[in-house]
Amino acid sequence: MSDLSLPVPARALSPLGFYQRRRWFLVAMAAPALAYILVVAVWPILQGMYFSLFDYNLLKPHRTKFVGLQNYLEVFDTPANRAAFVNTVIFTAAAVTIELVLGFGLALALWRDSRFNRIALALVLVPVTITPLVVGLIWRALLLPDFGLLGYWLAHWGLSDPRGLLADPHSALATLIAIDVWEWTPMMALILLAGLKSLPSDILEASRTDGATGWQRVRLIVLPLMLPAVLLALMIRSVDAFRVFDSVYVTTGGGPGNSTNTLMLQAVKEGLQFFDIGAASTLGNVTLLCIALIAGGLIAVIRRADRRANG
Amino acid sequence: MKRLSSLRCLALASASVAALAAPALADQSLKGVTLTLASQNDQFAAVLAEMAPEFEAATGAKLKVDILDYGSLLTKTTADFVGQTGSYDLVTMDIVWAGQYAENGYTVDLTDWIARDKDEIDTDDIYPVLMQALGQYDGKQVAFPFAGYANVLAYRKDLLEKAGLGVPTTPEEFTAAALKMTDPAAGVYGFVANGQKGAAGAQDWMQYNAQMGGAIMGPDGKPDLNSDANIHSLQVYKELFDKAAPPGAANYDWGGREESFRQGIAAMMQTWSVGAPGYYDPASSKVVDTVGIALAPSENTEEPSYGVGGWGIAINAGISEKQKEAAWEYIKWMTSKPVHKEMILKGSGSFLRKSEMADPELKAKFPFLPILEKTFENGDGSYRPRIPEYPEIQDLLGTAVNAVLVGDEDPKAALDAAQKEALDLF
Repeated sequence: MSDLSLPVPARALSPLGFYQRRRWFLVAMAAPALAYILVVAVWPILQGMYFSLFDYNLLKPHRTKFVGLQNYLEVFDTPANRAAFVNTVIFTAAAVTIELVLGFGLALALWRDSRFNRIALALVLVPVTITPLVVGLIWRALLLPDFGLLGYWLAHWGLSDPRGLLADPHSALATLIAIDVWEWTPMMALILLAGLKSLPSDILEASRTDGATGWQRVRLIVLPLMLPAVLLALMIRSVDAFRVFDSVYVTTGGGPGNSTNTLMLQAVKEGLQFFDIGAASTLGNVTLLCIALIAGGLIAVIRRADRRANG
Repeated sequence: MKRLSSLRCLALASASVAALAAPALADQSLKGVTLTLASQNDQFAAVLAEMAPEFEAATGAKLKVDILDYGSLLTKTTADFVGQTGSYDLVTMDIVWAGQYAENGYTVDLTDWIARDKDEIDTDDIYPVLMQALGQYDGKQVAFPFAGYANVLAYRKDLLEKAGLGVPTTPEEFTAAALKMTDPAAGVYGFVANGQKGAAGAQDWMQYNAQMGGAIMGPDGKPDLNSDANIHSLQVYKELFDKAAPPGAANYDWGGREESFRQGIAAMMQTWSVGAPGYYDPASSKVVDTVGIALAPSENTEEPSYGVGGWGIAINAGISEKQKEAAWEYIKWMTSKPVHKEMILKGSGSFLRKSEMADPELKAKFPFLPILEKTFENGDGSYRPRIPEYPEIQDLLGTAVNAVLVGDEDPKAALDAAQKEALDLF
């Protein structure tokens, strides 16, 4: 980075050594990407931090005033925001854990390279290709208790509240988690399958020759070797699950009450319905901070696991 | 002979085009001007787009119609106003946005232009409640009305008859009838409304609340969400949801509500008149022969007051004077008697003028016009407060009402909490 600020007189370029010229070339090649990140990521983040220090509503511009950190101190004062935080954490933890377990099972089942497995993998990936918004709409229609394909029978047989799974405060969040699991387990399986396929086959064959049972092989050899891939999958999914929005927005709108409210839902509402830029920026930054903590924690664990696994 | 008659048709057609053009400028004085209109995706949107060439024929100005869903319309137009980018010359305005528009001066105040052109517009022919609710705020005319919707009662004639009941006229009769007609074993429910968290749940409850004598704003201009009348009406509303509504209604928005009525599982609902033509369409409705439209029930039968909603059309204050003048010509043209009538015939579902209620052609096509007439004559467009803080208040109510309907919270506690947060907005 510091190279960027060095003055480069045109005449001086030619006497530069090969390595110096090469470095300049690489910097120049990376510059568009750096500029892009500055414009679309760094600049908005800085602006978001700046706006979060103000009581600033687009619809009431003349009432704008600097409030320091007050937005942050008050962010969890409202029941809606508190519920949003708790729900987001529960949603992320539950969905990602279940997806990991199911995804691992699926990856093990699809491990052996056969024609059937290749076709099965392609079919299993179908939910991943559907936009989350559409997934939400599909499940909402399926689960309607009055004329939904599934919801009607669930209510009829007493398996759900008569109001339907999505309108019952006790089952709404669990249903949304289940929808997320339905959509993203294949993704988890795909990442883990890639990990499985790259495992050194000599170790596995050696263990088989030594008479290890299938379960022993999974527990003692596959799992430890897979740790980096598992943590990578966990990180990708956690970061994604933490900012869940579309599927919740179209199925429950955060209801019943506040029982499926999430941080992103709340931030979008503050920003695009109330145009309260201060509050929306604050929520966005809190979400960003949480995601950074999750990602940072997982990366630290991955590093350590990787060091241990690879000596 | 055949040739002659087709010639005659042609003559008639051109005469009618000329008649359409007559109230606006018959010349091409706006040639070279292009107007861009941001329109809500309601039934009128397609009609506005379809009729744009007629406006060009009448004035020379081109009209581009950008059709947007509610959320995008609000976001895009607000960004346009705040950033003063002038992308849209004309904007359709929901009844509840008037407060925000007025407070921020986003749109041209039309008061003087309306006074200047009142003979051309025939202001007296426009329902005062629409002129007021769909555009006036704080002494400013921030938009011009063009799509008046009436809150009406849609009901099933056969089910009421079977229960031996007449069409309910008061909220008490309505509740009693809803409870009586409900028979879950037969898959029939007496009532349906939106229960979903958010705008859907809040708006439907505000409607019933107003009819039962409740009010969102107190006489001091501050929110009064937890008044005794409001708590009572929410209790009744919950009882209706628990005992007389399809079980899924607690998570219905407008789509689910309308569908349950068209599918024949709900016997009564209050709804916007704009959806009424859909009940008579056999392609999507199972109740074509049994549906009836009546006045919404009202607590006060002496001086009834009925819910009015709809859309006005506003001129962006951030565009050039020339564009503003052209936009005003468009508004006058679009709301003129012949053009607005043609829009209704093309299915806009948007009413505006007293003369439309008496028009024989419209009366023949839309049997429910007398109901609209009575509603507009005794209309109330302010039961949803048209104040700048409306979006936040609607959201608080949407959460509170939904929490009560699903049994999470007691009506008083929920409204108390909402009131506490609402006061913080002022």
